[in-house]
Amino acid sequence: MSARSRELFGLVPVAILVTAGFTAVFIVESAQLGGTSLFYGAYFLALCVAAHLIIRWRLPDADPFLFPLVALLAAFGLVMIYRMNADLARDQANWFVLGLIAFSATIIFLRDYHVLERYRYVIASAGIALLLLPRVPGIGAITNDAYLSIQLGPITFQPTEIAKLCIVIFLASYLREKREVLVVGARRIMGVTLPPLKHLGPLLVVWGIAMLMLIFIRDLGSSLMFFGVFLALIYVATARISFVIIGLGLFLLGAWFFASTVGHVGERFDIWLNPFADASGAGYQISQSLFAQADGGLFGQGLGSSLLELPQVSADCAEQFPSCGAILPAPHTDFVYSVIVNELGLFGGAAVILIYLMIAARGFKTALLANDGFSKLLATGLTAVFALQAFVIIGGVTRVIPLTGVTLPLISYGGSSIIANMILFALLLMISDDARRHARTQQGGDLV
Amino acid sequence: MSDIEPIAVVLKFGFLAVLYLFLFWVTRTALRELRGTASPGLDTGYHEVVGSKSSSPDAWLVVVKAKGLKRGERYDLFGGLSIGRSDEAEIRISDKFSSGLHARLYSRAGSWIVQDLDSTNGTMLNGDELQGESEVLDGDVIEIGDTKFRIELG
Repeated sequence: MSARSRELFGLVPVAILVTAGFTAVFIVESAQLGGTSLFYGAYFLALCVAAHLIIRWRLPDADPFLFPLVALLAAFGLVMIYRMNADLARDQANWFVLGLIAFSATIIFLRDYHVLERYRYVIASAGIALLLLPRVPGIGAITNDAYLSIQLGPITFQPTEIAKLCIVIFLASYLREKREVLVVGARRIMGVTLPPLKHLGPLLVVWGIAMLMLIFIRDLGSSLMFFGVFLALIYVATARISFVIIGLGLFLLGAWFFASTVGHVGERFDIWLNPFADASGAGYQISQSLFAQADGGLFGQGLGSSLLELPQVSADCAEQFPSCGAILPAPHTDFVYSVIVNELGLFGGAAVILIYLMIAARGFKTALLANDGFSKLLATGLTAVFALQAFVIIGGVTRVIPLTGVTLPLISYGGSSIIANMILFALLLMISDDARRHARTQQGGDLV
Repeated sequence: MSDIEPIAVVLKFGFLAVLYLFLFWVTRTALRELRGTASPGLDTGYHEVVGSKSSSPDAWLVVVKAKGLKRGERYDLFGGLSIGRSDEAEIRISDKFSSGLHARLYSRAGSWIVQDLDSTNGTMLNGDELQGESEVLDGDVIEIGDTKFRIELG
């Protein structure tokens, strides 16, 4: 079976899952079996096949599993959001279509992704500007005490999502050039390998930017995500674990410093450590998230069956619950994972994590196969930023790390997130196509 | 509601079953591929950075003629080297025909490669213009402008 046929074959179970998911939600909500869910399944399949045809046309050698796995996550998201709010689901479906258009446009118009390397400083400036946009008075908007989105008329937009692509592209091209100097000039001091002093500068600058983000955007999650990508790339570029340990130490030091001095960050830490101390107040979100997951058990309550809102909302409910009527706040964005675990249980939650792990595995495999340093670092960075984002939010709602508001990539409701991630996968598939075509022509063998 | 419940339960388990079957299929195929291709396709020097077990022979770059460097000086190639006029190059030559980062030497699959880093004036290998990159052997001569190096393999 050729790579592209494999991909097409992989889309079939995804379409079945969409249909089954919508059917289950329908049954619970309206207690009847209709043909509408079949229509949704067919519509979703048609969209994916259209994207598949574009991949078949432009990237015939690309990894066959990435796209079906991505489609599976999007399908998961559509079903879960439909289950909460049909209007939001329609929006999300439209965003998914726009995401696929951005995906196709990237593949068709960016013929050779290596040109990105030439515009690295432009791309880096754009990325930093995007990160700072939410702090511009007038258009910046505060979500959960963090400056993450901008509001332009009716459109809310999260610039961090696009910025993460810019930063990864910049870091990949910068480290491609500097990796050798970072390695060769390194010296050992007391058994620890340190990078040469004059090249330590850029590392400290990136660390400083991560710390500034912590202050200005007030978001530990995005800051952790960006710095994590940087450390992953440094490690791949230099193969020196000591750089990673030093970087991680610096980050923890900075985070600890801000946690003890900046009230907002410190509060997040306290909630993380003792969520039940104020379970109906500050710790409400995380407590409810943990209850919802525990309530799911092994196989969950069933799709569409979890209780998200109080059936009878009294007029004075705001006094008892911070978010009136809603048992689990923000179920379609930050806490979508908790709802999945509630409805599909441990097995459903584990499956979601498995999907992310498999995407990460395919991404790193692409990096291994890639032919040049820039492609390797870019593939690693794109995969790492995607996987880290999933880790930051799943870790947040399961109380592994302090909760911060990033979206669960491709599942959460949100247009900027979907579009940015679809562009991310367009780039990854382009790298994969390039790498696997070389491998195929060199070895003459048929790669899976 | 009660007559519809069995269908909902079947759908839930059906959903999980299809999901896991799909993930199993991906894992199995990916695993077979992993066994099939033991070594990563092309080697770009990323899989054997300093400290890793490299099968490349020891090699040195010997200065034959270079402004600012002592004649006969030997540079260990271990881990790769870059040559150029800027501070970023590991071997700095003050040659006005040299680019900032002019060329580099690295090992791949047991042999040493010299690569021209898109320099303005090009690199000569044994008197011929280097096209992209080429393997170097003992005694090969690399020329950048007025600068001359010789390769010694151990």
